[in-house]
Amino acid sequence: MATTEIYRYLTIEKKTYALDPEGYLVDMGDWSPEVAEALAHEEGIVLTAEHWEILQVLRDFYVRYEMAPAMRPLVKAVGQALGPAKGRSIHLMRLFPGSPAKVAARLAGLPKPTHCL
Amino acid sequence: MLLHVVNRSPATSRVYQQALAGMAPEDRLLLIEDGVQGALPQLVRYYAGLEGRLFALKEDLESRGLLGHCDASVQVVDVDGFVTLTEEAERTVSWY
Amino acid sequence: MQEHHDDCDLLLILRHGPHGSSWLREGLDAALVAAAFGRRVSLLFMGEGVTALMQGQQVGPLGQKGTAATLEMLEMYDIDTLLVDEQGLSCLGLSSDELMLEVECLSPSALARVLSGHRLVLTF
Repeated sequence: MATTEIYRYLTIEKKTYALDPEGYLVDMGDWSPEVAEALAHEEGIVLTAEHWEILQVLRDFYVRYEMAPAMRPLVKAVGQALGPAKGRSIHLMRLFPGSPAKVAARLAGLPKPTHCL
Repeated sequence: MLLHVVNRSPATSRVYQQALAGMAPEDRLLLIEDGVQGALPQLVRYYAGLEGRLFALKEDLESRGLLGHCDASVQVVDVDGFVTLTEEAERTVSWY
Repeated sequence: MQEHHDDCDLLLILRHGPHGSSWLREGLDAALVAAAFGRRVSLLFMGEGVTALMQGQQVGPLGQKGTAATLEMLEMYDIDTLLVDEQGLSCLGLSSDELMLEVECLSPSALARVLSGHRLVLTF
C-alpha cells in the first residue's frame, strides 16, 4: 500500500517526485515513462519493450481492480493479455528480478501490492 | 462435529440465527460473553432443537449474576469444559 | 470438476455489507492473502453480506473506495467458489440473478454441509 509519507525525492531534470519509504510514488499522478525509467535505473533495470508491456498490464489491472496484484494474479493477468508464453513467473523474474510483483508495481507507478509479504 | 461459539444475546442480535443456520445436526453450540443471556429460560426458546448440544460458559454467567438463572436444558461448563469442547470438535466457528 | 468446494482449505464467511464497516474489506483481504499463498479459498456471503454482491455499487459519499472492484478481482486470484446464503437473499427480497457475479445459492440445509466441508472456517 502506498503511504502518504514522503521519505525521499526522485529528481529528473530538476523536477522532483515524492517517494514513500519503500520507493513507491506518493502521488500516482506523477507517473510518466520518464519516471518509470528513472525508477528502473535505481533497480539496475533498463526498460525494454518486454518490460513496458508488463507495466501496461499492471496499469490496466489497477484501473480495473483498484489494487496492485500479488504475484499469482499478475502472472495470470500477463498470461491473459500477452499470451501463455509470457504469463509465467520465470518470465517476470527475468525482467524484474527479486520480487517481480513489487518491483514492477513500483515502476508502473502503482502502490505496493497489498497481498504479498 | 463442529463447535459453534456465540457471544451475542439473542435479545439484541440476530447472529444466533446465522449460527443456527450453519449448524449440522450433530454440532454443538456454546454461549459466551453476552451470549450467555440466551441460557435464560425466557430466551432459550431461540435455541429450541439443540437439547443436549447447548452449552453456556460458567465464568460469563457468574460475572453477570446469571449462574442460578439458567434454563435446565442448558449445560453449564467452565473454561476447562470449554477447552474440552474445543478438543472434542473438529473445528470451532465463532459467530459474533 | 475435481476441485469442488468440499475439498477447499479455507471458507470465509462474509456477513457484512460494503461501506457500513470494514468487516467486508477485511474478510476479502484475508481471502486474497490466502489465495496469494496458494490456498484454495471459498467465500460464503451470508445474511447482510449478500449486499456485497449488488450491481451498480459506487464510492461512498465521502469518496471512500468500495469493494466491488475487489470482488471483480477475485477471479484473478482464482477464487471462484462463491456461495450465497439463499435466506440472506430472500430476507432482502433479492434474487441471485440480480448479483454482479455468478454465485451458487445454498439452501439452509446445504449451509451446514459447506461449513463442515472446509478445513478452516473464518467468520467476518
